[in-house]
Amino acid sequence: MSAYIDQFPAEAKVIRSAFYTSFIALALGAAFGLIQTLHRTDIVRVIPSEMYYTVLTAHGVLLVVTFTIFFLVAIFTWAVTTSLDRGVEDIRFTWSWYVLMSLGTLFAAVAILAGFTDRTEMSADVLFTFYAPLQAHPIFYIGLVLFVIGTWLAGADWFRSWWAWKQENPDERIPLPTFMVLTTMIMWYLATLGVATSIIVFLIPWSLGLIDTVNPTLTRTLFWFWGHPVVYFWLMPAYMMWYVMLPKFSGGRLFSDPLARVVFVLFLLLSTPVGIHHQYLDPGIAEGFKFIAMTNTMFLLLPSLLTAFTVVASMEHGARQRGGEGYFGWLGALPWRDPVFAGMALAGLMFAAGGFSGMINAGMNINYLVHNSLWVPGHFHLTVGTAVALTFMAVSYHFIPQVTGRRLASKQIALFQVVLWFIGMTFMSNAMHRGGLLGMPRRTAEPEYDFPFETAIGTVGELNAQIALGGVLLTLSTVLFVANMLITALNDPADDLPSNTIPEPLSGSEDAPLVLDNLKLWTAIAVVLVIFAYSLPLGSIVERGGLFGPGGDAFPMFIEFVEGTVFGLTGDSVSSLVNSPLEWLRAMR
Amino acid sequence: MSSDAAALKDADSPPDESAIERYIGHDEFDPIGTLALIMVYFLILVLMWLFMYFVEFVGNEPTVVGMV
Repeated sequence: MSAYIDQFPAEAKVIRSAFYTSFIALALGAAFGLIQTLHRTDIVRVIPSEMYYTVLTAHGVLLVVTFTIFFLVAIFTWAVTTSLDRGVEDIRFTWSWYVLMSLGTLFAAVAILAGFTDRTEMSADVLFTFYAPLQAHPIFYIGLVLFVIGTWLAGADWFRSWWAWKQENPDERIPLPTFMVLTTMIMWYLATLGVATSIIVFLIPWSLGLIDTVNPTLTRTLFWFWGHPVVYFWLMPAYMMWYVMLPKFSGGRLFSDPLARVVFVLFLLLSTPVGIHHQYLDPGIAEGFKFIAMTNTMFLLLPSLLTAFTVVASMEHGARQRGGEGYFGWLGALPWRDPVFAGMALAGLMFAAGGFSGMINAGMNINYLVHNSLWVPGHFHLTVGTAVALTFMAVSYHFIPQVTGRRLASKQIALFQVVLWFIGMTFMSNAMHRGGLLGMPRRTAEPEYDFPFETAIGTVGELNAQIALGGVLLTLSTVLFVANMLITALNDPADDLPSNTIPEPLSGSEDAPLVLDNLKLWTAIAVVLVIFAYSLPLGSIVERGGLFGPGGDAFPMFIEFVEGTVFGLTGDSVSSLVNSPLEWLRAMR
Repeated sequence: MSSDAAALKDADSPPDESAIERYIGHDEFDPIGTLALIMVYFLILVLMWLFMYFVEFVGNEPTVVGMV
């Protein structure tokens, strides 16, 4: 019985590095979030509106790519080593994927942050979705490619551990945490084919000036081929924490190992063939294909509802073991003063609310009501912004002491921090949803234009105040989190850390049908479903527009033609900002 | 252990075996509280759909409903 760092000191070092990288991204991303929320609501403006996309890109990429994925590779490494009870096969290989991911992040971040200064030719004001014809400096796309290759190698590392373990344990079931990692990674390999194709075949050659145009519908569709499953790439580690850690911290045991396996298999099957539901309003994709994506999406609610049942039942088991009684009285017996438990439970509660708006987003007809409105950021701040982010922050209070061997700086501040996040997000997300219903657009520095939005209840001023207040509370919460982590990292060593164990489920793997562990079968079905969902839509997009056309001119390249008219009004800085990549491109050609 | 004592314990250390008053096995455990919570979830879901439809959507101009 010992802490993780005592069991696996070398692995703990890599995991620690990945955690710290993710925290740096979180701190930076949160700062940009604050600038954005105060700017949009016109309360404090520290940047010119033309710089809003730079801020928004940095906020999006740093939080949903860098923070989440660095964090999850850390906990996946923890999960595989702990549940197989063996170290990684070659620690140099483990470091190599960490370094590659870091290098990729550095490249992309440099390109994005260069957008703030006129002194360099670079920019990448293309948002997280990098839709063509918005164009970034090639180093942005190259950074993304390196990052994704890093995650592929990380997956290979975990598969390698499992294969080695299987040689020694041929008749044993795959331990649940490893099973979760492997299914998630198969899903990730399949999903990243889309974005890798989009970037390597189209966007990099295009940004280097090797091809003149791309087919924007094609690159968008390839983006969403990856862009929805990436949502589950964030969420499945959070689910893993809910299945594996939450019962432990509730004082109980996981209700059912077989149900957990079913859930992860369903995510592997259904995460990818649904991306077109982000494109319900895209012209150029037939309604029938969108309908298929909608049907798959509705099926995808099933594993989340199964999770709600299994996780809540596991918590209830803990509560009843702790003496809880009654239909609702048992909730009071849960360890609400423990920040790890409270953070995860509040994250789960908010995810339930995210389910409400998610079901609306998923419906093709009702999606038209909220598409591209502030409702959508309201939704994903509940899912990735709370279900995932708050779970990650909460488990950090357990994991950082485990991988550093140091005492958590302050448990009280930790508890305050997770509750503050919950309150801040309640204000911000609720107001964003309501604003979206009024038709307030997302992704703009000037959402009001001069249009008087009519509210059924309350006023636009009240909505803006709630959004800004929520944003400020969330930033404060992030500051407390990062400070607590920093002090913990430098704190005194602790000699009484809880041991790194995972309790046995109530209904264990012996109750799970063997077929659930047949990864080849599930991979094959997942591939077939993707072929069904995507071959015809992609074929028709290429048939209509061609592989490389009819793209239109790249933006910033677009500016070349209207420079004198439109951008004459906004000053030299923007002009030179958008022109410098152009000159670079011309030189390349 | 009284509930106050349990709470004090929680403030200082992660919940562990020491907070457990009884052990409940697979067959004795009946997750009735989970059922109760899930019913509440669906009730909220239905009420929010009604709220969104009548107040925020139909009650809001401009809308295509009733125009034709």
